[in-house]
Amino acid sequence: MALHDKQMREVYAATLGELIDGNPAVLCLEADLAKATGTALEIGVKRAANFVNCGIQEANMIGVAAGLAREGKIPFCATFACFAARRAYDQAFVSVGYAGMNVKIVGTDPGLTPESNGGTHMFFGDLGIMRVIPGMKVFSPCDVYELRSMLRYMAADHSPTYMQLYRGIAPKVFDEDYAFDPDKLVRLTSGDDLTLVSTGYMTPAALQAARALAAEGLGVDLLHCPSVKPFDAATFLESAGRTRCVVTVENGDVACGLGGLICEICAESQPTPVTRLGIKDSFGEVGTIADLLDKHGLTPEHITDACRIAAGRRNQEA
Amino acid sequence: MKTEDDLERLAGELRYIITDCICRAGSGHIGGALSLVEVLTVLYERIMNIDPANPDWDGRDRLVISKGHAGPVLYAILARKGYFPSQWLATVNKIGTSLPSHTDCRRTPGVDMTTGSLGQGFSCACGMALAARLSQKNHRVFTIIGDGECDEGQIWEGALFAAHFKLGNLVAICDYNGLQIDGPTSQVMGLEPFTDKWRSFGWQVYEVDGHDMPALAALFKSLPEEGDKPVMVVARTVKGKGNREVEGQVSSHNVFVTSPEAYCRLIEGLGCTPVALPYE
Repeated sequence: MALHDKQMREVYAATLGELIDGNPAVLCLEADLAKATGTALEIGVKRAANFVNCGIQEANMIGVAAGLAREGKIPFCATFACFAARRAYDQAFVSVGYAGMNVKIVGTDPGLTPESNGGTHMFFGDLGIMRVIPGMKVFSPCDVYELRSMLRYMAADHSPTYMQLYRGIAPKVFDEDYAFDPDKLVRLTSGDDLTLVSTGYMTPAALQAARALAAEGLGVDLLHCPSVKPFDAATFLESAGRTRCVVTVENGDVACGLGGLICEICAESQPTPVTRLGIKDSFGEVGTIADLLDKHGLTPEHITDACRIAAGRRNQEA
Repeated sequence: MKTEDDLERLAGELRYIITDCICRAGSGHIGGALSLVEVLTVLYERIMNIDPANPDWDGRDRLVISKGHAGPVLYAILARKGYFPSQWLATVNKIGTSLPSHTDCRRTPGVDMTTGSLGQGFSCACGMALAARLSQKNHRVFTIIGDGECDEGQIWEGALFAAHFKLGNLVAICDYNGLQIDGPTSQVMGLEPFTDKWRSFGWQVYEVDGHDMPALAALFKSLPEEGDKPVMVVARTVKGKGNREVEGQVSSHNVFVTSPEAYCRLIEGLGCTPVALPYE
């Protein structure tokens, strides 16, 4: 089975296992979701000495992780994004961020992906509230190759970090030799008509949209953003300066996540119209991912339409 | 080794420094700092294995003051032990200081963990004790929590965690002074039966007069070096102890010193002749 045929969580667990084998300071912390995260067997059984199941105690887990990090350990703490970023936010802010502890917080099931778990389990502001913790790096991988490279980077890098993790099978975007660089946006398609910025779970859909638009003759500069913080503003501003038309797409709230970030940069550095695709001031709800993406305007077709409209408006103004 | 008389003198000096630092800062958490003077004096002079010249020495015992607002008492003893120049004490809570109101391990040599949001330091101490166990190191982790802090759910998460992971290298001390910001703990949020709660959570529980230094030293020395149960020492204390201007008063949690007269009253409240301050 090729790596990209595996679920993201399988690759999370396998990579964490490799990292533990290479450095015994790496630890896997769970809050009674090891089966969901995929680490139960790969770490919990096979590498039990590096596995700490904290029970249903997300706040304590993050605090314990900070204490472990203070002693030189490298804890990767996983739980659903709603609990990692929302319930344990004060712990992430004080014990990890403010204290400067080398803790890796992994928020699984980001955005709309909890599907049938519904509104209580959907949190759309994790990228936004995590990026306002000074010193916190904020990542969202789009496929297994990027996830693997990102995890290796995180284990070697001494920084508090938050990473979103979609658990299912993600469409392949990259190849075996992909190397994650937090300081670089990744150009997936080139074009001069429109800048499309996507992150994490939405990048495969954005890529599909960009290809469809290219076939119509609309050149899309598709910039995949694996790192919301640090953010590669230079590459973005060069692209936006050329196209004068920006669309963002994310599996989260546009107010504070990627869309918010892009608007801040445009407003301060290079005023450019921005169309933000994502969730807009709404709670989540139960539903299939297909229905939820459709409701919130996040299918490849929605993205394609939004890009056409944005480019058309730019052309009218020009 | 210091005599018991030396320790009594040192405790008096720490009270003077705490009071003076808070007065100079214009405000501060005096009550919960004064209640811990004897506990910290005994830990630093009799119990903890430390090297002030090498604050990050890996073999040291750790101390996490989870009730982070007690910073001034820790700064007073750390300065006395030589972790940093005594002149720093005159800068408490001034912008750019290395001695902020709540303890901060990125700013102060000898501070083992950043605390301030109640309940969190206790979890961090659990993590530090677990790290020692995982790395087969023999040092101990001491942590001080407040009784009011035990209103926080995170304390009880940590209590379960430490017992589950058999963290016998963790010694928690509860500064049980019976007061919190809005009133007596019994009125704001009842904690009793407090020792029974900790026992039922799987902890080894002791009670002691938190101002009786020989008793504190004897108790800490009697604790098993290696055990399966984390230790809870409930130190019965008096908030604001040793300063009659604030002792035993709810309002001692955080005092505001807005006039020279208030400054004088707090210094006079110590009931001692002025101590030669190490930072003047």
